[in-house]
Amino acid sequence: MKREKMHSAKTRRFINNSIVHAVLGVLAVIWVFPIVWVILTSFRAEKGSYVSTFLPKSYTIDNYIKLFTDTTILDFPQMFMNTLFIAVCSCILSTFYVLAVSYCLSRLRFKLRKPYMNMAMILGLFPGFMSMIAVYFILKALGMTEGNLIKLALILVYSGGAALGFQIAKGFFDTIPIAVDEAALLDGCTRWQIFTKITLPLSKPIVIYTTLTAFMGPWLDFIFAKVICRANSDQYTIAIGLWKMLEKEYIDNWYTCFAAGAVLISVPIAALFLYMQRYYVDGLSGAVKG
Amino acid sequence: MRKKALSVLLASLMTAGLAVTGLTGCNNSKDGTESIRLMVWSPQGDQSKDQGEWLQTCCNAFAEEHPEWDITFVYGVADEASSAGQVSQDAQASADVFLYANDNLTTMTDADALAKFGGKYLDEIKASNSETSLASVTKDGEVYGVPFAINTWFMFYDKSVFTEEDVKNLDTMLEKGVVAFPFTNSWYLPAFYFGNGCTLFGDGTDASLGADFGGEKAREVTDYLIDLESNPNFRIDDLGSGIAGLRDGSINAIFSGSWDAGAVQEALGDNMGVAALPTYTLNGEEKQMYSYAGTKAVGVNAQSKYMLPAVELAIFLGNEYSQRLHYELENVVPTHTALLADGDILSNEVVAAINDTFNRTSILQPNLAEMANCWTPVENMGKGIRNGSITHENSAEQTEMMNETMNSDGI
Repeated sequence: MKREKMHSAKTRRFINNSIVHAVLGVLAVIWVFPIVWVILTSFRAEKGSYVSTFLPKSYTIDNYIKLFTDTTILDFPQMFMNTLFIAVCSCILSTFYVLAVSYCLSRLRFKLRKPYMNMAMILGLFPGFMSMIAVYFILKALGMTEGNLIKLALILVYSGGAALGFQIAKGFFDTIPIAVDEAALLDGCTRWQIFTKITLPLSKPIVIYTTLTAFMGPWLDFIFAKVICRANSDQYTIAIGLWKMLEKEYIDNWYTCFAAGAVLISVPIAALFLYMQRYYVDGLSGAVKG
Repeated sequence: MRKKALSVLLASLMTAGLAVTGLTGCNNSKDGTESIRLMVWSPQGDQSKDQGEWLQTCCNAFAEEHPEWDITFVYGVADEASSAGQVSQDAQASADVFLYANDNLTTMTDADALAKFGGKYLDEIKASNSETSLASVTKDGEVYGVPFAINTWFMFYDKSVFTEEDVKNLDTMLEKGVVAFPFTNSWYLPAFYFGNGCTLFGDGTDASLGADFGGEKAREVTDYLIDLESNPNFRIDDLGSGIAGLRDGSINAIFSGSWDAGAVQEALGDNMGVAALPTYTLNGEEKQMYSYAGTKAVGVNAQSKYMLPAVELAIFLGNEYSQRLHYELENVVPTHTALLADGDILSNEVVAAINDTFNRTSILQPNLAEMANCWTPVENMGKGIRNGSITHENSAEQTEMMNETMNSDGI
């Protein structure tokens, strides 16, 4: 009797699990579908933007080769390097800004703390590109809209407002006991040392999170790059390049290369994530010991 | 302490800004020649080594003709469709000379960014262009550019399926082979309406007349389109499906422009045929389809510091030499009357077809601001017919609705 009951519970669990897995499987297929399609298209040998079959009839890696060798019309390697440079610089800068501001707001007490947090909250409610044209004219007044200074301009644009996005990191820092800071202060640590030697090592997950988002923002941005680069094709970022490939003059020739480019831009993000994800686990298990 | 650091930072920023603007402003003349910095924008293709560097070649030839100026050219990339947006966004920081598509003319004149041509320059433009192409860059009686290329769409077909006699009528073609048309694209679809007497702003220049896409004549066309869409030999060309169909043989004719000529040539080889638009049979009568036509033109920035050299360069980029080079290097179809009379150039099928389309089966695309309201309603008409929501039962009211929205300013 008892055994039978157990058996039926087991069966029920099995049925439940099967249903859940079947649903998840279908959802996974639906979700991964477009990505698989882009990857397949990037290896497609037939030209053109439209094909009548889902799977390519023949495969090739020429699309990738063309992307890096056919540079007279769209110079993909240069766009890639431009974007990488801008993204890395603004990633470092804005990660620093975000973490430093979060630390200050979490640990220090000063008069403007509350007003600053309110102001940041309100400013954060507006989309960044609202100020696009104003930003452009300010940069132009500073002479930063021509030549290589455009890279600097973009780095400033991407990292300048970063400090407004402190909420998540501040929330994390708040969970670290102040007692730890006080103990360090008694031992003669400066605020800077507390920040670098105690707070940061204890908050690896949030550091990783901040770095990843700070990298992805400029890496994928289109609208600011478009407004600021204008006709300076040697300063174009990947997003502008990929967009150009879809214009009516180029789309037939470049569509498969566009897919190849779309696959390639995911490489640095994936690499950064794979390298950093082990710290996620480390950081979470670390916390504050005894 | 903190305050001091802040003021030092601000001060250094300001000086840096001043220094940069100061540096770009200097312009010394030496040994009698005037040194000039001209910024020129063109599409990437015109500057690419693979395609013969049309822009650089022409600019260098121009510099040689004018030893009195010591010109430094600064090249930028902006294609004809997007240059207007860039120039009107910030004319001061834009090119002195650029290429634009004539339907963007109003965008730039509204921003006071486009210079008028006058005097001997105007005479030169008038002498080398047909009336239609001159009209395409004229607004309120003023000429705003030097036309250098024809911009329109026409028909590509498979010669092994259709004869030259067949391609004169769309309905004859549909009996013999499969035809694709960009049915849901409002740059193409009005062709049928124009064929049956519909008009936009009178002859395209009088905004007060509005769009006339209503009444019995328009309803007839809508009904024709509904039947056309359900014809088994008709395909809707969308997202490149037409050219893909030519490649695999499932489609025998498409409507597109010179930018697809290379791809069609590759797909059809010797069987590639090019022709102006066909007629279609409406209630037993033959009606001619009319495409939107325009030109691409060289424009001069109204805010240019070096107006005279800029205007001279614009004229040069649109002269016979530059247009011929443009045609030889990139198959750009010229507007220059001397070139269009040239037997060699006219023997090119694509040029002949475009020229024929421009002269016979097209209307000049209006460049009035009101034109902006005319795109979406027509596109919705095409989409409505495709998805079956517009039928013979409601075609009259749907056509009236299209006409109404084309004449309203609302979004």
